[in-house]
Amino acid sequence: MAIPAGPWLEYEGGTLARQQVGLWRDGLRRLRRNRLALAAVIYLGLLACVCVVSLFWTPYNPNLVGACPTYALPGTPGHPLGCDDLGRDLLSRLMVGSQVSLAVGLITAAIVVVLGVSVGLLIGYVRGVVDAAFALVINVFYGVPPLMIAIVLYVLLGPGLINIIIAIAASSWMDMARLVRGQTMSIREREFIEAARAGGARTGKILFGHIFPNALGPIIVQTTYVVPAAILTSAFFSFLGFGVPAPQADWGGMASEGFSPLLAGFDPYILLWPAIALSVTLLAFNFFGDGLRDAFDPRQRR
Amino acid sequence: MTGSVNDPVLEVKGLSTSFFTDDGEVKAVRDVSFDLAAGETLGIVGESGCGKSVTALSILGLVARPGRVVAGEILFKGRDLLSIDREELRQIRGRDIAMIFQDPLSSLNPVHRIGAQIEEAMRAHDKIASREVRPRGLDLLRQVHVPDAARRVRDYPHQFSGGMRQRVMIAMGLSNRPEILIADEPTTALDVTVQAQILQLLRDLNRDLGTSIILITHNLGVVAGLCKRVIVMYAGEIVEEGSTEQIFDAPQHPYTWALLRSLPRVDADRHERLRSIEGLPPDLIAPPPGCKFNPRCPFRLERCFREDPELEPVGDGHVAACWVTMKRAHAEMGAGSLVDTGPGAASGVRPPIAPEAPDPSGADGQDVESETQDRG
Amino acid sequence: MTRGTLIYIAQRLAIIVLTLLVVSFVVFVVVHALPGNAFISQRVHGRSLQLLLHEYGLDQPVLIQYWNFLKGAIHGDLGVSLYIRGEQVTPLVLRELSVSCELGGAALIVTIGVGMTFGVLAAIRQNTWVDYLLTSLAVVGYTVPSFVIAGLGIMIFANFLGSVTGGAIAYSPVWTGTYGTIGELWLPALSIGLYTSGQITRITRASMLEVIQQDYIRTARAKGLREWVVTLRHALRNALVPVISILGTTVVGILVGVLVIENIFGIPGLGKEFVESILQHDYNVTVGVFTIFALLIGLSNLAVDLIYTVVDPRIRY
Repeated sequence: MAIPAGPWLEYEGGTLARQQVGLWRDGLRRLRRNRLALAAVIYLGLLACVCVVSLFWTPYNPNLVGACPTYALPGTPGHPLGCDDLGRDLLSRLMVGSQVSLAVGLITAAIVVVLGVSVGLLIGYVRGVVDAAFALVINVFYGVPPLMIAIVLYVLLGPGLINIIIAIAASSWMDMARLVRGQTMSIREREFIEAARAGGARTGKILFGHIFPNALGPIIVQTTYVVPAAILTSAFFSFLGFGVPAPQADWGGMASEGFSPLLAGFDPYILLWPAIALSVTLLAFNFFGDGLRDAFDPRQRR
Repeated sequence: MTGSVNDPVLEVKGLSTSFFTDDGEVKAVRDVSFDLAAGETLGIVGESGCGKSVTALSILGLVARPGRVVAGEILFKGRDLLSIDREELRQIRGRDIAMIFQDPLSSLNPVHRIGAQIEEAMRAHDKIASREVRPRGLDLLRQVHVPDAARRVRDYPHQFSGGMRQRVMIAMGLSNRPEILIADEPTTALDVTVQAQILQLLRDLNRDLGTSIILITHNLGVVAGLCKRVIVMYAGEIVEEGSTEQIFDAPQHPYTWALLRSLPRVDADRHERLRSIEGLPPDLIAPPPGCKFNPRCPFRLERCFREDPELEPVGDGHVAACWVTMKRAHAEMGAGSLVDTGPGAASGVRPPIAPEAPDPSGADGQDVESETQDRG
Repeated sequence: MTRGTLIYIAQRLAIIVLTLLVVSFVVFVVVHALPGNAFISQRVHGRSLQLLLHEYGLDQPVLIQYWNFLKGAIHGDLGVSLYIRGEQVTPLVLRELSVSCELGGAALIVTIGVGMTFGVLAAIRQNTWVDYLLTSLAVVGYTVPSFVIAGLGIMIFANFLGSVTGGAIAYSPVWTGTYGTIGELWLPALSIGLYTSGQITRITRASMLEVIQQDYIRTARAKGLREWVVTLRHALRNALVPVISILGTTVVGILVGVLVIENIFGIPGLGKEFVESILQHDYNVTVGVFTIFALLIGLSNLAVDLIYTVVDPRIRY
């Protein structure tokens, strides 16, 4: 008689082994499966291309006043997105505006990572008085909205893209430092750190060679949230009138310029384009971050 | 008291419950039927994962997603609980059929006071008049012997000990004077002395109030102390059912027999080693063909790999689903003096090799053969 | 309230006072180091500028100025405005605080109302279109900048609705009085609240999904409780704990929103004043606004910690 060969024979020995897949391979597979994250990556790639192109070429000079009739509607020949109140081509300005957003987002994130990780590693490892002092600084920083700190810093430093980045980075590195400090404190108690120390490894080697690689996952995930937060803060900056100096185009500033025609009852497109560009970019960074977190942070997985 | 002793209050007919997971349909309960008479105490035993808790949850319609009752009838006083509407079922839950759970810490809501949790059980149904709710809550706590009840009603679950929490659970279950109390592993999380107290409490309730009790446990000792009748479940099916004496004195299914052998006994006449049952319960997504116990059964026959046995009478009110039964195992295979209880140890039967298996190469077959021989 | 709780509150208040001291000092020093002064735009030069600086004590060393500020602050006097010369800062800031509290309070109601409702609905309808719709809205809410939402609102409810109905029903995007009417308030409040409610939705949903799996929810159902009682009294009450833990962050988010949104709708509150005072070098006002924001955040964090003990009886200080 025919007995179907089922998996049941495996239970004879009482073993129930499931296939083990490595964390990173598993994570990458999950990331690829996440269509939203994939779409976000594609969008961000396109945005990066637009940004690079705009460094060398735009349809019109983005700062040229009177390139077209003022308030030309979208769809006007040669000006698919229309023109603003000074007759500047909106498509050109929108393209150039991506430079500010991407620069602020990426460079701020880089500074935050370097600063936050170094401070976090050091404080988590040394602890003691340094840690207490850090706690005090953190308390004060968290006592006021970060946007206000950034604005005051920026005014103090004076106008310019670099100063915007410095101001935003200076007001947002604490979260990263706090995260890395916590990671360091738990990792430093593990046996392999003990072993490294017993083996005579120097503090710097232990921090960056042993602790840092083990805290990398949470650091990457946190970084993906720093980028959109920095872009958002810089948009608030420009919107409130603390942005890059005119006539340099940036999305927050363009949106701000779009408000007065809107409030006067004119067509909304001057506000609409930068608002859409900003929103979609922020959404893309967030989806990408969520995708990464789902893929690489097993504790959050559901 | 309603009805005579032999009048069933609850009839479960052909109940099947499955969990629809990503890996496939887990058939947690398959074609389970039993009756519960008024005032009766019924034990359901089996290893964890055998479907006993899911059976209980199915009765009250509490199976959580992705689980679902896929077939059967659950007749409570003639009404099918699976086909009545949600509001009617809600009214029956806690009022006519109450359930208490295994871990009383996680089963009590941590943010509400004990008193409030008992009182809301009464307020959910109109059985108890509104002004009686508070004094009755206190009475219940005294009835289950919670000391200083008047003060402790204002406490939170985390301020109670494990045994006291289980008493609170029981008080809550009894608050509407239900006709049936389903107790799912009520003593598992407790110390042995507290276990005995809780069992005594359940016995008193059955005797004094006539509440029918379904006791679900993996612990045969607990069943012996409380139940008149026992159902043994394995891999989602009932494999044996009988009076407590029949099950304990003359078990007929090898699984029941093995379960009993794993019990420590004070009256053991032979100096025998405690034995656990070798192997694990089968995968419920793709269970083995034939009898589900065949991969672990010492007395299996060739037939056990082909045909699934039905429950057959083996005595007065005693049924078992086995092609061999222990009567024959004792007579022909010397089950009483068996030392090795590994799969097929007594009968010497190996799993047959499928001639039309997807990869019927000789080497594969040899591998399986030699592996099982090693074990035998 | 136990004695331990009172001691805890006293400790926290002491920390708040300490934070206020540090914040006001740092801000005071930094603001006074900003290039320029309050009188530049008023075209005051030479000797009259010197007289003005002397009159307001601005010619003294910063530390002495701070000491003088502190002496006044203890009595609730934050000094005088330099831009609108002679205007007392304390009543000015308090009036603006009440305006901002109106807006912030409305935003908080939106945040908690929308956030928790969406979160609970999404959780009990997990993996249905309701869940997908509400979680998508939440994501859009906390990603799209508040000024974009405000702009869209004005576009739809002021311009479009106004032109369709011939101005009969239209939102007026300009704040007319000191305090807003409900008709004026709802769009600014919504613009702020959608951002923070997105976070609340997310965390409420996650927390509810976790709680719904707990044994005590099964117990509640086994008692025969109605489903809404199970959801609200048993599940939501337990799910609140993580939600409350982010309320502190929510308050900061609302304050940032207030800062931006007040400048769009011309709302005479602290946020508008903050931006103006910085641009006008109105030192005392900037420091005053900062101090009040820090006080608000400190007190709301304390309030959050106390709400914890009410929601979860296991937490005691």
